[in-house]
Amino acid sequence: MDNVDFDELMDHAKRFSGLTPERESLLVASGDTVRPRLQEVTDNFYAMLLSIPKTAVHLEGRVESLKATHLQWLTSLFTGPYDVEYTAAMYAVGDAHVRVKLPVEFMAGGMCLIQNELARIAGEVSGGDVDKTVSLVSAINSVLGFSLMVMQESYQSSSLAEELDRFLAITGMSRVLFNNLADAYQI
Amino acid sequence: MRSDLLTSILSDLNGSSADIEASSVISTDGLMMAAMLPSGLDEDRVGAMGAAMLSLGDRTAQELARGSLEQVLIKGDNGYVLMTHAGKEAVLSVLAKPSARLGLIFLDVKRAAEAISKVL
Repeated sequence: MDNVDFDELMDHAKRFSGLTPERESLLVASGDTVRPRLQEVTDNFYAMLLSIPKTAVHLEGRVESLKATHLQWLTSLFTGPYDVEYTAAMYAVGDAHVRVKLPVEFMAGGMCLIQNELARIAGEVSGGDVDKTVSLVSAINSVLGFSLMVMQESYQSSSLAEELDRFLAITGMSRVLFNNLADAYQI
Repeated sequence: MRSDLLTSILSDLNGSSADIEASSVISTDGLMMAAMLPSGLDEDRVGAMGAAMLSLGDRTAQELARGSLEQVLIKGDNGYVLMTHAGKEAVLSVLAKPSARLGLIFLDVKRAAEAISKVL
């Protein structure tokens, strides 16, 4: 994690997810109306996860503490800033998911559930104004996509690091030897 | 100085048998310490691959209850690769012809490995 260029990762993920300054402003501006509904999003999110057998096993005995963290993160989606610190925090979440051996699809699946919930709420708080709803849903999709990209980046790096540790432990090779081997083949 | 001594040992080893085509001393981290190799071989690759093979050989001998590793021997259509520890921090790697009389080579390589471990 020490070698990660968070500025570069943030810029890339924002460009890829379409998280423009305009969308960032819209998210913050809609915060007052959306924030009171976020507890409902978190509750529905965990209710759905608990109803899926493969996700439920990862939540046993931890739901309340996870809900608190989740709500805090959801709130940050509508307060910003979507800066390097936020990027680093999302990166740490990806790492944490590898440490607790959460399957990779949980992040994308989870984001999908949250996206559905927030899209519904975006429609409700926009008072039937289609343009307003579309703009807010687009901004929500962008910030969730941005967050997911950063988490997946760290998930992949952490998974590879774990695989390498396992390989080195099995073969008895030192990390220095592995690096020299990789250097020799310019990998 | 040390490099010269190692090269001299390798030169003697290569001269001890017409069956020996090349030899090198590698650190257990895979870095080349001294080499008398044909021009077509990449020293970095020979070094890293040799050390990796010996490391894997160590682990295999241990896992399969064969005791401490003495050597790793690979045979291909074009000859042999023989690797053995030369002290705790180095690996002696030798390339030999396919028709090589291995018994004699094992003896020469063992002597050379002992000499290298004294230099190191």
